[in-house]
Parts: sequence; structure tokens; C-alpha cells
Amino acid sequence: MKLTFNAADERFREDIASWLQAHLVGEFEHLKFRGGPGDEHMFPEERKRWEQELAAGGWVGIGWPEACGGRGASIEQQVIFAEEYARAGAPGRIGHIGEGLAGPTIIAFGTPEQKAKYLPGILNGTEFWCQGYSEPSAGSDLANVRTRAVRDPDSGRWRITGQKIWTSLAHESQWCFVLARTEPGSVAHRGLGFFLVRMAQPEITVRPIEQLTGTSEFNEVFFDDALAEDLVGEPGDGWRIAMTLLGFERGVSTLGQQMQFQNELDEIIRIARSNGAASDPAIRQRIAEAHTGLRLMRYNALRMLSGDERSGPDSSALVYKLHWASWHRNLGALAMDVLGPEAELLDGAPYELTRLQSLFLFTRSDTIYGGTNQIQRNIIAERGLGMPKEAKGR
Amino acid sequence: MDFTFTEDQLAFKEAISRFLMTEAPPEMLRDIWETEDGRSPELRRKIAEQGLMALSVPEEQGGLGMDDIAWSLLTQELGYYAIPDSMADTAYVAAGLLRALPDGTTGREDMLTRVADGSIRIAISHSINPLVADVHLADKIIVEHQGAIHLVSREQAGYERNESIDSSRRLSKISVTPTADSQIAAADTGAAIWEQTLNRGALAVAGQSLGLAQRMLDLSVDYAVQRKQFGKPIGSFQAVKHKLADVVSGIEFAKPTLYRAAYALANNDARADLYVSHAKLASCEAAWVAARHGIQVHGAMGYTWEADLQMFMKRAWALNASWGTRDFHRQRIADDILADDAQIGPRYTFGE
Ligand SMILES: Cc1cc2nc3c(=O)[nH]c(=O)nc-3n(C[C@H](O)[C@H](O)[C@H](O)COP(=O)(O)OP(=O)(O)OC[C@H]3O[C@@H](n4cnc5c(N)ncnc54)[C@H](O)[C@@H]3O)c2cc1C
Repeated sequence: MKLTFNAADERFREDIASWLQAHLVGEFEHLKFRGGPGDEHMFPEERKRWEQELAAGGWVGIGWPEACGGRGASIEQQVIFAEEYARAGAPGRIGHIGEGLAGPTIIAFGTPEQKAKYLPGILNGTEFWCQGYSEPSAGSDLANVRTRAVRDPDSGRWRITGQKIWTSLAHESQWCFVLARTEPGSVAHRGLGFFLVRMAQPEITVRPIEQLTGTSEFNEVFFDDALAEDLVGEPGDGWRIAMTLLGFERGVSTLGQQMQFQNELDEIIRIARSNGAASDPAIRQRIAEAHTGLRLMRYNALRMLSGDERSGPDSSALVYKLHWASWHRNLGALAMDVLGPEAELLDGAPYELTRLQSLFLFTRSDTIYGGTNQIQRNIIAERGLGMPKEAKGR
Repeated sequence: MDFTFTEDQLAFKEAISRFLMTEAPPEMLRDIWETEDGRSPELRRKIAEQGLMALSVPEEQGGLGMDDIAWSLLTQELGYYAIPDSMADTAYVAAGLLRALPDGTTGREDMLTRVADGSIRIAISHSINPLVADVHLADKIIVEHQGAIHLVSREQAGYERNESIDSSRRLSKISVTPTADSQIAAADTGAAIWEQTLNRGALAVAGQSLGLAQRMLDLSVDYAVQRKQFGKPIGSFQAVKHKLADVVSGIEFAKPTLYRAAYALANNDARADLYVSHAKLASCEAAWVAARHGIQVHGAMGYTWEADLQMFMKRAWALNASWGTRDFHRQRIADDILADDAQIGPRYTFGE
């Protein structure tokens, strides 16, 4: 165990801090503290340019291996990056699905050609990705995907037909990774493929879904014999690859999220101190609990990432989503209670939410996306504790 | 000891419920809320025809002369059908305040008559609520000022609209300069009436919150029965069932606190504050839990604008802190039971 940073790490901290200070100015100034959870639909064009700015500074994919164009940054440095990024109030990453999910998956399972084709676009901040997993009848039961992929016997290329739903940022993305059935008649985890699909083709229709926030960050995506650019791995590997990707979702990419949480908590504390809520004993205690919960999350994440052997085969990872999702949902409620009767007042018409209202509403979904709390508990009990599975209908 | 309602009270509630079910479906509410005013004179007229506006107006002014106990059932119906604020504010809270004024107080009898026939909207400005609901259409505004009661018309009150997270709410900040002319009761009579009015406002919120909770529960049960994952209805998974079982527990345990408090208000019980705060806390908590579990059971569908669940969740969230935050009501309870001469112990279980 070593819980401090070394001199090289501290130099790295100075590098990123001063870079951010020098670059988060001018046209990017107004992006500070924007584009986070509940605000992801805001300033997409400016935030894409910001991704390119970051990329030019060499700050995209810092944790990727050097051979793949990354910096091979240590966990410590990735922690530092996340801390400084949040401290500077740098905007929510519109490139996070590419950098945190698509990229690492292609690095792990892609061919050299696929790496050469897809990684540069992510690394230079010009190509953005979305995640095509969920379908109307495949939510928690993800293995129930019905979207079909058929290989054209002449060209050998795959064509995709079906519907995805709740696809975040599909309308801002050039690429989508799609889980689809390669083997007609197959069921559950077998017979799936992991496809990389270009969004700009007439065979794909993206329809925004309005969220209870009044904005649209997710979409329905219809594939009507759409061309898949590539299949990652072999037909039938889809489930294994999809699951590995979900592991990335729980990994390093959560560090930045925690720092975002810290900013939110700080804001709530600031308001509580200024409007008198901090003198309500119940609120004081909840703030102390929130602070403690965030610490637990942070230590657990760091332990998870440093791979503590004796914590068992990723049992620290299994409990992680449940903890942060529930914590964040409670934080949203705390924000409303700190605001008191003013909490319901919008910034303006039509339906212009304040930052804390966006936080509150968005956090209603934290315990749903990326595996609901119920599914997380099932996984903890079944995979972590080896308990018998609940009877399924099929 | 008898927690049951009379035939009359139950029949009236049934009639209103059936009426609102057909006359105020969610699609229609959405259309109304989208309009600038957010209110439908048509719907209000029809509701008045049902006699709801007249419920607690004395018979001398053409009303039905019922009390808080009847309202404890009806506010639940207003909540269940997400009927906007001005209905309960005018017909229950304002009518209660007017009734409590001494006979002959300026405007009292005339306003009560007009409440009963549905021709007046009254907004209430109390310092516990930073904003006032439905000022934009109010014919009269009753304003609290240092315990005194003032009555002004909308034209006399400057007001500025402010949107709410709940699209059914129409809130305004008002600026009124109280004058000797606008005062209808001095602080010596007014203060007690305001105390009672605050309790009535809180109880109106408690009743509506329970109705909202019930609606969210019903929507969630329906959804859990229809939605299938893993080849079976999600409602067959224990994790889902238990969530909804918790919701119904919260609702059922809150109901008698609401009735207890209504009884206390109707009978001028000296400890009404305590009972009302119990009801407000328990009912708002029930609605809060119903929203939390409701959206969870709906999955991503519950996070959409399209699913009706959001209408009821947002109304519950918005009402949560009106007529006293949780902190305020917990404080009142603590003040009562931690006082030196507190009436605690077995003798006071029912507070009689
Ligand atoms: C804001 C947001 C963004 C999203 N972005 C994306 C995206 O970019 N790409 C993508 O592919 N998907 C995305 N999703 C979809 C998300 O992954 C699904 O919502 C999630 O998997 C749950 O599926 P569902 O919504 O269909 O709920 P359902 O699976 O229908 O679940 C409904 C309820 O039943 C419970 N339940 C289901 N099965 C069981 C069981 N076996 N045991 C106990 N309880 C059970 C659930 O816990 C839940 O409470 C997003 C969702 C949200 C809310």
C-alpha cells in the first residue's frame, strides 16, 4: 500500500493543471461546469471542438497503451487527470463513449486494421460514438436482443436490421457499436455479434426521445438493412465482448465522474451555507453522510483500480455501480431539500431547469441505466456470492 | 374511537372520483398545462357543477357545510387526478379561512357565496410559501401580513410569474402594499386564523400527496404486470414486488394520520399543529417513496416525458416543500413533544 503520489506524478499534475488553465479560455470559457450529467445535450458543437483541443494537447486516451496512440498513463496519473479536469470545471466529455468504451474494446479485441481505422478518430477528438445495446424488449434482459445481422454472401459484408432504444448521443455520433444476432434462431447470449456501424447512412433513422427533463439526450435508432463497417471478433463473440466493455464502464472512466460528484456536493454545501439550510440538523447530517459516501466511493474505486488481489475476483467492481448510483440519487434529493420551497422554481420558460434541478431529475435515472439497482444486486448475489439464480421465464 | 366515514362523505368522494376519471384524463391535463394560463374554465365549471366548490361553504351561503374530514377524502382525489392548485386553494383553504372570519367581515359572505357557485378564484399568500399559486387568474388574493388578514384584487397586487418543475403549477411572486383599506382582520383575530389556515394548507398538500402516491402506485403496478423481461412480467420478480409493497405500506400508514389531523382541525383541537405535521410528513414521504420506486419499476420508460408517471412525480416533488418543509414540520413536532409540560405518555396516545 502506498497512498501518496510521487514526484513524477506531481509534475504531471502541474502539466495538466497549467494546460487546462491556459486552454479553457476564450471560446471555451463558457463551457465551464457544463455538459455534465443532466446537461449532456448542451453545447454539443463547442464541446466537440473542446475535444479536439484536448486531443491536440495529447489529453485524450491518456490511459491507452502507447502502441495504440495513448500515453500509457499510470492509474495515479489518470486519477490526477480526473481531479484536475474537474477542479478546472472543464466540460462534460462528449467523447467519453469512444474514449472509455469503444476504444478500449477495439484495443482489446480488434484487428490491427480495425485499430488503425478507428482509434485515431477517437484520439484526435473528431469521431464520436454511441452505444447500441438496449432494445424495446431487451433492457435488463440485454441478451434478448432481436436486432439481426445478415452476411451478404457476395460481398461478405454484414447488414443490420432492427431497433435500438435509449441510445445516448446517437444524434451527435458518427459511429455506433451495435449488439446484434448473427445466428438466426439463436437465443440468449449465444449467436451475437459486436458490430461497428457508421451512423451517416440512409438505412439508419435516429429519433430523439424526450426525457422528463424536457430535453433529449437519448434516442430511438432504427436500422433498415444498414451496412456494418466491421465486426469485432467472430460471429458469436458478441456477448463476451459486450460484457468486457461493461467492465470498462465500471473502471477508470468513473474517476472523472467522481470528481464531477465532488463539484456537485461542493455546490450543494455552498448553497446550504448561504441559505441557512446548513443550520438544519437533519440537513447537516445528510451532508456529512454524502461526504462520507463519496469518500467510500473514491477509496473503493482506487482499490478496485489498483487491483487488490485479496478483494477477490472483482467483487469491489461488482458493488461499485450500486453504491455510486444510489449515492448520486440521494445527492439529487439532498439538493432539492437544501433549496427548500425554492427547489421547484425553474430558471425560465419553457422548462429551463436550474443546474440543481437538472441534477435532481437526471439522478432519478442513475439507478436505471447501465444495469438497474435490482440487476446489480442480482449480480452481486449470484456472481459475487454464488447464490442460486432466480427462476427466469426462459 | 371510529375512523370510518359517513355514507354521505363516501358517496360524494365516489361521485367526484368517477367524474374526474372521465373529465380529467392525463392527455387532457397535458393540453391544458401547455396553454399560457394553464387552466380550463370549462373543467372548473364542470367541477363546480358537481358541488365540489361548495363542499365546505356554510349552508347559509349556498354550500354543503361539510368540514375537513370530508376534504381529507377529496384532496386525495384532487391529487390522484392531478387537479391544479387553485381548486383546493379556493374551495378548501380559502373557504375555511373565510368561514373562520367573524360574520359581517368585509366581503366574507359574498365571497363564500361565490366560492360555492364556482364564480371566484381566490389565491392565498402566506409567508411560509415564497410564491403564490394561481395569482394570474385570481379574482381575490388573501394576504398574510404580520398576522393581519388583507384582501386585495389581482389588479392591486403586482405579480411576476415563475415557472415550476411541475407544469401544472402557475406560481407568482407578488408585491402587495398592505393598507388600512385592504385589511379585513387585525392581527388579534387574524393570527389564530392564519395558524389554522397554514394547517389547512398543509393538510390539503398531505391529501393530494397521498392521492398522487396512489396514482403512481397504480401506474407502476399496471406497468409491472404488462412489461416483460427474461420471459416473464417484471412484476413477478421479488425485487419489483417488494418495492411496490413498500409503497402501499407508506400510503396506508399515512392515511389515518391525515384523517386524525382533519378531525383535529374540524374540532379545533389545541394540538392540531402536531397532528397536521404528522400527516404532512407521512403523506409527503409516501409520495416521495412512490415516485422513487415508481420510476425505478418503469425503468428508462419512467424517465421519459411521454410516460404519464412524470406528471404525477413532478407534482409530488413540487408540493413536497409547500406549506412547510419537512424541517418545519419536524420542528413543530419536536417543539410539542420536547416541551417542559409536554403531553406525552400512555394517557395521551390518542391525544384526547
Ligand atoms: C438516461 C439513460 C441513458 C441510457 N443510455 C443508453 C445507451 O446509450 N445505450 C443503451 O444501449 N442503453 C441505454 N440506456 C438503457 C438502459 O441500459 C436500460 O434502461 C436498462 O438496462 C434497464 O432496462 P429497461 O429500461 O428496459 O428496464 P426493464 O428491464 O424493463 O426494468 C424495469 C424494472 O424491472 C426490474 N427488473 C428487470 N428484470 C429484473 C430481474 N431479473 N430481477 C429483478 N428486477 C428486475 C428492473 O430493475 C426495473 O426496476 C439508457 C437509459 C437511461 C435511463
